[in-house]
Amino acid sequence: MQSNEDLEPTVRIRELKKDRVNFVLGNVDLAFANSLRRVMMADIPTVAIDMVEIETNTTVLPDEFIAHRLGMIPLISTNCDEAMRYTRGIAKEHAKFSPCSAVSFEYDPYNKLRHTTYWYETDIKGEWPLSENAKEEEAPRDDEPFDFNAKPNKFYFEVETDGSLGPQEVVMKGLAELQTKLANLILGLKSGPEHDMVANDVTVNGHGPAIDNPWTGGATWTSPANTSATTGWGGSTSPSRGGGASSSWSSQPTPSGGGGGWGTGANAGWGSPERRSNGWNV
Amino acid sequence: MNAPARHESYVLEDGEKPVELIEDTKIPNAATIKIVKQDHTLGNMLRAQLLAMPEILFAGYKVPHPLHPYFLIKIQTDGTKTPQAVLEQACTKLIGTMSSLETKFKREFSYKDIEGTSGGVTASTGEDPYGTVGGTGGGAWGRGRDYLDF
Repeated sequence: MQSNEDLEPTVRIRELKKDRVNFVLGNVDLAFANSLRRVMMADIPTVAIDMVEIETNTTVLPDEFIAHRLGMIPLISTNCDEAMRYTRGIAKEHAKFSPCSAVSFEYDPYNKLRHTTYWYETDIKGEWPLSENAKEEEAPRDDEPFDFNAKPNKFYFEVETDGSLGPQEVVMKGLAELQTKLANLILGLKSGPEHDMVANDVTVNGHGPAIDNPWTGGATWTSPANTSATTGWGGSTSPSRGGGASSSWSSQPTPSGGGGGWGTGANAGWGSPERRSNGWNV
Repeated sequence: MNAPARHESYVLEDGEKPVELIEDTKIPNAATIKIVKQDHTLGNMLRAQLLAMPEILFAGYKVPHPLHPYFLIKIQTDGTKTPQAVLEQACTKLIGTMSSLETKFKREFSYKDIEGTSGGVTASTGEDPYGTVGGTGGGAWGRGRDYLDF
């Protein structure tokens, strides 16, 4: 049994700046904290330049050089998962889509748990200065015996964004994204072979429609957050697949049949109300 | 050159099942569940949550190959519940933990906004990231308006 089991998770924000947040997460286990870290870095959709057509290039830089650098420009991606249909992506596709420029993650600054071994020449304490986070914890006595049942319980995060999303958005969207992943797994477990899963909609980030999403509406874990415009799970197509802007240029068949190009259909661009009916429960 | 397309690691193919159950024929109350297009993010978290539950005798996960975008989670229970049921329960518990965390984060963030420590939202920074002039500046996001208002 976990000691964290019965306790509610805790959060304390130590610093909030326009591009970073520093917080301490408590009463969760290592795996949970790590999943939050991973999801913030790699699973949050953002927009970025993904396709560049160069007509003439009279610079000293080659085309692909310029195209690559254009891709690296952070573009404001607030609500891009509901307000945009194309050219969203996540960092698993390309690192340029990551909203985080760095996420620092530390626990057990005194290494009481011995999850690591410090190499040293003569004096371990002199050669390994303590991190700032050590001030948050009690120093072990020199004769303290090793507690082999101890588990990490306090996690020090610093999430630094590249400006495409605010730090608050990154954290909240990260949590929402994890919940979506879990909800989709429950859905997958429930629907046996006879129930046909709507494979297209339970995709990547599975951002189903916010309001009538079964996993946020009415169930016990409901958090009102998920239905608000800011954190909602909005629009539904999977980001950055063939159906997007790329298809109109690479002449692949457009699987989702949506106009192509920069969204020319009637419902193009800023998500139209009709998009919502393409979600899970119409 | 032989690398799989990047999106294949997280987008389900047409008609692909996200979850596959393989019951264990030799061990009672055990099953291996294949979860497609997911990785350590979900696998490790589920494993840890399962191990914290009393009816679990064994829980472990593996990603058999880094280029194959799925993981296997093996669960053995004491017989009071099926492995699927416990896995589902684990998911539900985790979602619960997360939404409680969400609430706490929201409260903490709102405190920070009140304190005026140049809040995290673009709204309170005083900058205008959208480059628009006048009332519909970047601040609109922070005031509970959505994209349809623009």
